Amino acid sequence: MKDQNNTQNDILESEDDLFRFVEYSPEAAEMTGYSDYSYWKSVFQNFVKKKSAVVLTIIFILMVIFSFVALAIGKYDYKTLETNSSQSFISPDSEYWFGTDNIGRDYWCQVWYASQTSIKLAFIVAVGECLLGITIGCVWGYVRKLDGFFTELYNLINNVPMIIYMTLIALLIGQSFKIMAISLICFDWLVMARNVRNLVIIYRDREYNLASRTLGTPVHRVLIKNILPQLISVIILRLALSIPGTITMETTLSYLGLGLDINTPSLGILLRNARSYFLDYPYLLIFPAVIVSIITVTFYLIGNAFSDASDPRNHV
Amino acid sequence: MRKSTLSRVLALTLSVMLVLTACGGNTANNEPSGTNETPGTTETPATETGSEPIKDLVISKVLTRELETFNTLYSQRAEDSENLTNLVDPLLEVDTYGKLVPAIAKEWGTEDGGLNWTFKLRDDVKWVDINGNEKANTTAWDFATGLEWIMNFHKNDSNNTSMPIEMIKGAEEYYEYTKALSPEEGKALTAGEGSKFLEMVGIEIPDDYTVIYHCITEKPYFDTVATYNCLYPMAQAMVDELGGVDGVTAMNNENMWYNGAYTMTSYIQGNEKIFTKNPLYWDKECDLFDTVTIKMVDSNDVAFQLYQSGELDYVILTESNVKTINENPNHEFHDYLVPDVPSKYSYQFHFNFQKNKEDGTPDTNWNTAIANTAFRKAWYYGLDLKEYYKRTNPITPMVCENNFYTMKGLVYNSKGTEYTELVRQQLGLPEQNGENMVRLDKAKFEEYKKQAMDELTALGVTFPVEVDHYISASSQTALDSANVLKQAMSNTLGDDFVKLNIKTYVSSLNKEVITPKLQSIALNGWGADYGDPQNYLGQETYGNDNAYYSGHYSNINFMTEDTEATKDLLAAYREYTRLVEEADAITTDLDARYDAYAKAEAYMLDNVLILPLNYSIGWSLSKVDVTSRMDAMFGIQNEKIKNWRTNKDGYTTEQAEKLEAEYEAGK
Amino acid sequence: MFKYTVKRLAQSFITVFIVVTLVFLLMRMLPTDYYFTEEQLMKFTEQQKNDQLLAAGLLDPVPEQLLRFYGQLLRLDFGESRRIQNGVPVVKVIGTKFEISMKMGLTSLGIAVVIGIVMGIIQAQYKNRIPDHLGTAYTIFVNAVPPLVSYSLVLIFGSRVLGLPSIYSSRNPGPSSILPIVCLAMLSIAWWALWTRRYMIDEINKDYIKLARIKGLPTKKIMRKHVLRNAFVPLAQYLPASILTTVGGSLLVERFFSVPGMGPLLTDSIHRYDLNVVQTLVIMYSVLSILGVFLGDVLMIVVDPRITLTNKGGTR
Repeated sequence: MKDQNNTQNDILESEDDLFRFVEYSPEAAEMTGYSDYSYWKSVFQNFVKKKSAVVLTIIFILMVIFSFVALAIGKYDYKTLETNSSQSFISPDSEYWFGTDNIGRDYWCQVWYASQTSIKLAFIVAVGECLLGITIGCVWGYVRKLDGFFTELYNLINNVPMIIYMTLIALLIGQSFKIMAISLICFDWLVMARNVRNLVIIYRDREYNLASRTLGTPVHRVLIKNILPQLISVIILRLALSIPGTITMETTLSYLGLGLDINTPSLGILLRNARSYFLDYPYLLIFPAVIVSIITVTFYLIGNAFSDASDPRNHV
Repeated sequence: MRKSTLSRVLALTLSVMLVLTACGGNTANNEPSGTNETPGTTETPATETGSEPIKDLVISKVLTRELETFNTLYSQRAEDSENLTNLVDPLLEVDTYGKLVPAIAKEWGTEDGGLNWTFKLRDDVKWVDINGNEKANTTAWDFATGLEWIMNFHKNDSNNTSMPIEMIKGAEEYYEYTKALSPEEGKALTAGEGSKFLEMVGIEIPDDYTVIYHCITEKPYFDTVATYNCLYPMAQAMVDELGGVDGVTAMNNENMWYNGAYTMTSYIQGNEKIFTKNPLYWDKECDLFDTVTIKMVDSNDVAFQLYQSGELDYVILTESNVKTINENPNHEFHDYLVPDVPSKYSYQFHFNFQKNKEDGTPDTNWNTAIANTAFRKAWYYGLDLKEYYKRTNPITPMVCENNFYTMKGLVYNSKGTEYTELVRQQLGLPEQNGENMVRLDKAKFEEYKKQAMDELTALGVTFPVEVDHYISASSQTALDSANVLKQAMSNTLGDDFVKLNIKTYVSSLNKEVITPKLQSIALNGWGADYGDPQNYLGQETYGNDNAYYSGHYSNINFMTEDTEATKDLLAAYREYTRLVEEADAITTDLDARYDAYAKAEAYMLDNVLILPLNYSIGWSLSKVDVTSRMDAMFGIQNEKIKNWRTNKDGYTTEQAEKLEAEYEAGK
Repeated sequence: MFKYTVKRLAQSFITVFIVVTLVFLLMRMLPTDYYFTEEQLMKFTEQQKNDQLLAAGLLDPVPEQLLRFYGQLLRLDFGESRRIQNGVPVVKVIGTKFEISMKMGLTSLGIAVVIGIVMGIIQAQYKNRIPDHLGTAYTIFVNAVPPLVSYSLVLIFGSRVLGLPSIYSSRNPGPSSILPIVCLAMLSIAWWALWTRRYMIDEINKDYIKLARIKGLPTKKIMRKHVLRNAFVPLAQYLPASILTTVGGSLLVERFFSVPGMGPLLTDSIHRYDLNVVQTLVIMYSVLSILGVFLGDVLMIVVDPRITLTNKGGTR
């Protein structure tokens, strides 16, 4: 017996080298046939590889933080700025770090205060437009029965020139940050929704979706799992571009007197004003322009890097 | 019921003026053409540089000042009239000092203190088409047709009716008569012989070249109305040629008839207009340019660039332009800064005595405070506006100082004394010194401030009193000015006393602010429609429906109850109104009339029913001698491009000063 | 397809109808005081104002006004302008401005599409190499700086350095159109380049392209036959709309360079309460943009036969 056992043990031992029982574990069972690929992790990894985008993102974040610091350490407080004609158009110096404007007010605090306003507005609008735009865009593109309705709605909002809405809103409701943000969202989702809708139309009849549908996958799942990932690159890009777009739109509206209320300075307003002075006093244009550029460039690069990174075909 | 009496031109609000500087009084600038012999003004000094005059003038206007109609009778906006005044001539025009001189009328006058006015017309004034081909003679009948057009409800949309209704016999009745007709019947009316119009209205055409107007009461200043839109001529033959009333309404530069200095040979809306000399113009002696081009630009910054590149002959400078040029001795234009033509507007703070809050309820705090005499006097003696003047004029701010209600230069008495000078003597103010505002008085300010705070606190007013000031939302310039004003108030009146809140309107001050009575103060300029202090002072009288400011801005007309808070204010208004009415009753002795008005105005200023703000005098670069332009304080002749002296190289500051001195000496 | 077209057009007709009604009602929301100029408000008595409004039919009940308006539309009578050019038929007012905006717009669009697509192709081909970075830098710059500022820069640079006319002149349309066209094209070049690049890169990463490469097809051929053609599908959608909207002109550019075009007309007419002009413009814009979307869809189907807009069996 013993020998036998020994022999058996020997045999077993040698077989152990080849095979081994594994303890049953549901998690591990699930793993079978899966790599450790995670979509968002890959996106992130690919994104981080883009040095320029990462650097700019960091700069941008620092800038946002700094805008608060800047207001705190500045020698003048925006709320208590004083006009003084003898102090007008002073180039940047140790007293006025960004110089003074045409009526002798410190430009430093104006620029940073305006930056905060503009960034806040751009973000709120971007997020709002995104949520509304994607939801509507998916439904619009996928559900044929609703295509007519949404096309109609789109036409309705899109065809009444925005300027009419904005004029009426300003005249009848008023001008403020909140009103501005809401009205911009109400117009901007259209573009996003249309982008999404067109792509959804392109993808929805692809064979794999047909297969999916044949297998009885519910609509929302087809949309979220099969189609949305195809759209992410475009969505992100659109989102990134909407931020500079909002800033630009705000500038134009300010030029027409339909922008934010006059006591809320934004970068758009500063740029609009600098337009008349920048030949003689370039710093009035440069400071806000640089900040706008940082914001814009950052989001453009983030958008591009992210949309490249989010394309599953770039993941290995 | 008497309809609106005095017609008037209300300037754009100051803020708007500042913003659109180009627009303001500044639009017209150009260079006079040609030779040095300017008829009409004998004392034209030739500049010694022997400079060459300009033949084809190019000036600019900002885009918001685009023409809306070609019909002078219909036009009520300065933006239209400043163009149309070059195309059609009226009975009279003015010289460079603002004195009435003959135009189509060669002689005129009244023999009964202003009840009946006779104008004798030249017989060589032609109507021409766009190419200068003769169409007809301008006759007295054209003036009847013109007035009929204005007073006909169906022809002119009631534009420009206010002055005729106020002054000309039967005009209002005719207006009401036409209103009752159907549009077809109304449009079929004419001013021909035996017409209903001639029968009803106080206008008489004894022969082809004589017009007689019959006024309702003595109007010693009626002839100054002849420079205004409402007495312009229109040829019935043109109406017929254009196919009736609708054709005239829609007429354009290509089919209208001209009898003015130029014809408009090219009109591209939003881009440019070209005026070409009218070959058959009646005034053979005058200097005209061969062509005048008016370019429409987005802003004065663009205009400045055009001037730099030699494409323009005149530009109003923006604040930063002036500063840059002035502070840099090497700047190409450093020696070429010339003072701009003053606008004809006198700016005031108009207080609102019946202010509402945005929710429509009365703003009791403000209303109680502003009704207090000491409170207003504290503003008068305390508010230093020098910094504010620098917004308009960074170099010589104090030329903008204004201590009167009436625009200076409106009228002169027989001794040649200017009317506001009379007011100054009445007030006992020193002469302006160019350094500080002469009306300020620190001691009195402190005294009145303390008195006001004591009295008002007792009435339950909380300090600082909130002052709502409305500006255009699209105008950064207005915002900057408002901020400067806010600072000035804070520095000189004190944060414990008043606090200025800057608020905005989107498109119309009148519609969004004035009608709902939201403003505490309105900064507004008034330019006269006719040459008499009544046109100014009459706007502020109490209880008169036609008094523009009393019914719109100060809203004093809506204050009927004497209360503890308002009795002093109302008493002051009643006394002022009495003084004005007294002055208006003097129609034969003009000196006495002006003295009486000066007394009324001094009373108003002493009680600070309004607070004088500024004049608008900025800086420009110019190849036109601004002193050679017509300088009327009333009517629409100021922009007439006639007898302008020019200099191809541009005027230097020195030359401009010399011209200015010669001009002053010629007064 | 024919049936679909007819249906779409019928739908569009309804859309235009709704849009026009909406604008008509929106404009009637403004207080009647807006009918008058500031000068008239000052000089008119209440009675006179009332009489004028009555004569203009603005005091009638809104449904009655609306019916009257429909009646005019059926007769293709767009009425007369009141403030833009008093008494002149709206069609004539628009007619003169229409041509110039369209000429300028089409020129700049032509330039932009050609340059933009070429730029996009080059960027995609040389992805992440110098040409791509240059193109990206351009796109970023153009999007980063609000047009208000970039137009000023073009204006200053063009007129000071290059000596080009800084405002439009009808007597010298060639040279004086250069700067406005540059401004118009500047942004749209960036737009076309950006999206061409984006869609091409998306396409290049697809498996069939990889297969084609492995098969040994020449890169040029892959690019032309496969990548560009497929990338062009989503772009094609926008082409007709871009062409049609050129007639709308550009508010900012036309104001800046005093171009007597359509751009500022809508804002001006809203602010001056020139109702007939506003309504006619809105009808025009909505017809054009609906037509643009429709033609875009058609073009998309033409370029990519896989896309269908009509209901086929088996899809939903």
